[in-house]
Amino acid sequence: MTNQLSDSDLLAELKQRFEENKKALEDLKNLNEELIQVNKKLEESESLKSHFVSNITNEIINPFTSILGLSKAILSVDKENWKRVFSMIALIHEEAFSLDFQFRNIFVAAKIEAGDIYPEIFTVDINNLVDSVLEAFKYEAKKKKLIFKVQHHERLDKTKSFVFKTDPEKLKLILSNLIRNAINFSFEDNQIEIKIWVSENDLKIYVKDYGIGISKENHTIIFDRFNRLDSGINSINRGHGLGLSVSKALIDMLKGRIEVDSEIEKGACFTIIIPESDAHSEGFASDANETFFSDVEEF
Amino acid sequence: MIEIQKYFLYPSTLFASHTPTSVNTILGSCVAICLYDPVLKIGGINHFMLPLWNGQGLASPKYGNIAAEKLVDKMLLLGSQKSNLIAKVFGGAEVIESNIKVFNIGTRNIAIAYEMLESLKIPIVAKSVGGKLGRKIEFNSFTGEVKQRFIDKDASKNNLV
Repeated sequence: MTNQLSDSDLLAELKQRFEENKKALEDLKNLNEELIQVNKKLEESESLKSHFVSNITNEIINPFTSILGLSKAILSVDKENWKRVFSMIALIHEEAFSLDFQFRNIFVAAKIEAGDIYPEIFTVDINNLVDSVLEAFKYEAKKKKLIFKVQHHERLDKTKSFVFKTDPEKLKLILSNLIRNAINFSFEDNQIEIKIWVSENDLKIYVKDYGIGISKENHTIIFDRFNRLDSGINSINRGHGLGLSVSKALIDMLKGRIEVDSEIEKGACFTIIIPESDAHSEGFASDANETFFSDVEEF
Repeated sequence: MIEIQKYFLYPSTLFASHTPTSVNTILGSCVAICLYDPVLKIGGINHFMLPLWNGQGLASPKYGNIAAEKLVDKMLLLGSQKSNLIAKVFGGAEVIESNIKVFNIGTRNIAIAYEMLESLKIPIVAKSVGGKLGRKIEFNSFTGEVKQRFIDKDASKNNLV
């Protein structure tokens, strides 16, 4: 059997192979570029981590120094000047509050990275929970003349409160981070809008501020650990860039998601969407549904 | 008979303890590596969802490369010698059918488990991976035994990770 190729067939075949080669090379090049990017990211993340300790030292030492100094000052206030004590106590509270908040994020981040955290599901009165978070930030907001505008979720039957199965402590920390950011990045004398609603069994909450905003290209970076967009020494914003990465990981754990809508100078709106936890079928596959499983194999 | 406590392992977390424990977890495309130390009779298990941490978000045991290292660290912390450890690997099913290679999370999760264990020089003594069905496994941290059941596809569309 003769298997002869005409010149044009040969050329066509060669051309095709060249094309394939070229494509493979192209793919390889793309992969390489991706690898370089990922490598760069990992390096950045590691160096941020090492800077983190030195950054956090300031974040912790400074508030402590203020608290110590202020309480010492209070001890030496004369009786006739007792009114001065109020303003000093307000400052102590402010410093302690922010310290407490920083610690909470750091500990939760450590727990997440150690894989030692899991959802603890309860039936939660969400309106109440949001109000309690806002109450905690009352003074911080007042300082910048910010007003919270809350739109609660109302049930059709108004005699019953609105409850939702989720992890209250995790949700509190997520919301606290969003609200703290909203306060930090708002321009003075503005409002922060919060809306709670339910659609298709998902709990949705948005926190909207009128502040400096985030440019589109930075929408994903903000969820990376230790990353802050503006971390210069003159930065008016305190914090360590853990808040959003912690929130993101917690939302992941609750099988939810977070969306950002923001532009520079136009404020930011963060929306969290969390499905109702199905605590019965979650985990502890009880004997009741063992029938779904096939025979046991041993390893 | 030794008193054994029960523990449910959530995705992205890990477990290792001196206390004899029966650890349950449910796997779809996720992979669980069970490590057992036959000398101390202790065990540990992880449950990761994605193969590699790419520097985004927190470096949590949601990612295979991190989960494997952290689990070994935890076992060493409990007093195990690395050379005594043996591994069993489960999960990595393709629960969602897809023709696109990049989306074959299950396969990639299995591959990273093998790679990590090889580089850590921990032998894999048993495995049940791949396929199209999810798995429910029960790991006995005292004996190192693992019981596995496949999960009927239609009966449990949800809650597979």
